[in-house]
Amino acid sequence: MNDHIDKELDRRQFLARAGKAGISIAAAGIASYLLYDSIGPAASVEAQDPVTLPNFSVPQIAAQTMSIVKGYDRVKTVNKAIELLGGIERFVKPGETVAIKPNVAFASPPMLGATTRPELVAEVVRLCYTRAGAKQVYVTDNPINDPASCFTLSGIGKAASQAGAKVILPKDNLFEHTTLKDGKLIRNWPIFFKPLEKVDKLIGIAPVKHHHRSGASMTMKNWYGLLGGRRNIFHQDINTIISELAMMVKPTLVILDGTQVMMTNGPTGGSISDLRRADTLIASCDMVAADSYGCGLLGLKVTDLPYLTKAREAGAGTNDYESLKPMFATVS
Amino acid sequence: MGLVRRRARRLEAAISFCLFAVLLLVAVGVLIKQSDSNLARFGINIATAELPLEDSGKSTDDQTALSSLVPTGFKTLGKTGIYNPENLYEKINGKAPLYTESGFEELSTQRFVNTTDENLWAELYVYDMGSAKNAFSVYSVQRRAEAKPFGPMRFAYKTSNALYLVHGKYYVELVGSVESDELFSAMAEVTRKVRANLTIDPDAEITELALFPEEDLVPDSIKLYLLNAFGFEGLTDIFTARYKLGGETIAAFLGRRPNAQQAEAAAKSYYEFLINNGATPKQTAKNILEGKIVDFYGTTEIVFAIGPFVAGIHEAENQQAAEQLAERLFRKLREATSSANDE
Repeated sequence: MNDHIDKELDRRQFLARAGKAGISIAAAGIASYLLYDSIGPAASVEAQDPVTLPNFSVPQIAAQTMSIVKGYDRVKTVNKAIELLGGIERFVKPGETVAIKPNVAFASPPMLGATTRPELVAEVVRLCYTRAGAKQVYVTDNPINDPASCFTLSGIGKAASQAGAKVILPKDNLFEHTTLKDGKLIRNWPIFFKPLEKVDKLIGIAPVKHHHRSGASMTMKNWYGLLGGRRNIFHQDINTIISELAMMVKPTLVILDGTQVMMTNGPTGGSISDLRRADTLIASCDMVAADSYGCGLLGLKVTDLPYLTKAREAGAGTNDYESLKPMFATVS
Repeated sequence: MGLVRRRARRLEAAISFCLFAVLLLVAVGVLIKQSDSNLARFGINIATAELPLEDSGKSTDDQTALSSLVPTGFKTLGKTGIYNPENLYEKINGKAPLYTESGFEELSTQRFVNTTDENLWAELYVYDMGSAKNAFSVYSVQRRAEAKPFGPMRFAYKTSNALYLVHGKYYVELVGSVESDELFSAMAEVTRKVRANLTIDPDAEITELALFPEEDLVPDSIKLYLLNAFGFEGLTDIFTARYKLGGETIAAFLGRRPNAQQAEAAAKSYYEFLINNGATPKQTAKNILEGKIVDFYGTTEIVFAIGPFVAGIHEAENQQAAEQLAERLFRKLREATSSANDE
């Protein structure tokens, strides 16, 4: 065999071959260097046009922007609160479609106050249909826990369905990417867009809760449920994300339920002893104002929640709720 | 000539091996990079990386897990959920940092529902906190004001719908869907099974708990702050206890450090933190507390070091009562230090 090789290959041939191999390696190296993309391929979503949530707000009417109703019966207080603002007819017109976004974050029983009370959701659905003549009402959220369990165990799924609403659970194809203009965190981020894309009006309904990270969870924090992806990373900058949510979402109306307030161990709670009766329900076209009043129910000042100031500075509303001349009422 | 050819063959073989080794290294490099799932390392915006929408806590069909703890008259509702520090937020969202910053290792959850009344259900949470001390910390800082004693365990309480306890390194919660005697009995049965089934280190003790003076101590008021006690980053691993003294409620605190020097440094840094934030030194007739008392916006703060302990009084309304309690705490810690030295 060696003899065969010896005959086939002399030193000149070997050097020639080695030279060719060297040139090949050098050529491959140069080509690799020229073709190397240090940034890497852009994700496919980069190519998509980011979506923008529609503006669902209605024109403000002086001294009819915010109402605060005292009482324990949520059905009565929410009726009175909306009536003070001009009635549901001001917000929803006949034939319109409405999305209601309660807080359904946890697979938790309604009694614990970690989620929006089902009777409150059902009553707003009923008002949209019977008083305003809405064509279709949707109830939707992208919960923290398993969506089906959350809607079932919170009682919201059943209550909404019985009131005639269509419940929409999150699925991959219902999310689109959005970028908030001047946003620092909401940039090319998936949001629960499809259920809101073609509705005419958006109503948020949230309980007042202590929140371990942000201090409080109310109407602005409730929009966290529209975020997809690994949204927990926003907890590192919770005040910014809440204020950006307030900039991103322009709802028709928000309802803040402070009938029972989760004073400690939020946002999940777990014990009835975490709750305190405050017998207060707020309806507002200005969610910053609603939350600014709501923080008082938790024993906090507006300055205790930096996101309220951030949201005001970003033009999402006012944290001087008294300037709106809110209307007060009590129902028995 | 033959020698030259043999050398050429060896050289050719060596070059071939070198080339082969280079190719092998390239292949290994490619494999390493491809196996790294952290897209951010490769310049891809993490914002574009979506996760499944479903609750990604790992479910398990392992019937030897929590599902085996089902109480009489109940059945499991769903599978056991398992969460690690990376995905704990998917279960408890904003409360996750409380656990992850306290040594959390794993959470297992399981719901149980009554076989005849679906409105009667409860969820069991078993947090593996890595140590009994960590478990005590998350238990104590979340303890409800309306807590009532429950069972024979030292660290356990109940509210009208829930049970909370520490079992070794485990912090256990059982949350009922409604206030119900039947449901509560079932939850109590689950806690008994948890204690029987979860093996723990029987020798794990939290020795600091015995260092607080017993006189006037409010029962079950001891808490453990592993981080940022009193809003000061430098004060870690601090136990607090409430006392009823002369009509006042006063909080005492203590923390063990590896040695006396570190305890002294901790006391000094907290004292300076208070001064830097507006506190002013206060006079005292008690020699052992001289130079250790400040007025902090109308409240009295005392901080001192004794042996390996940093200790003191936090935000007391009454200086006299604060000094009295501080003296007791000082003596108790001095005894503990002397005993340790004698041993």
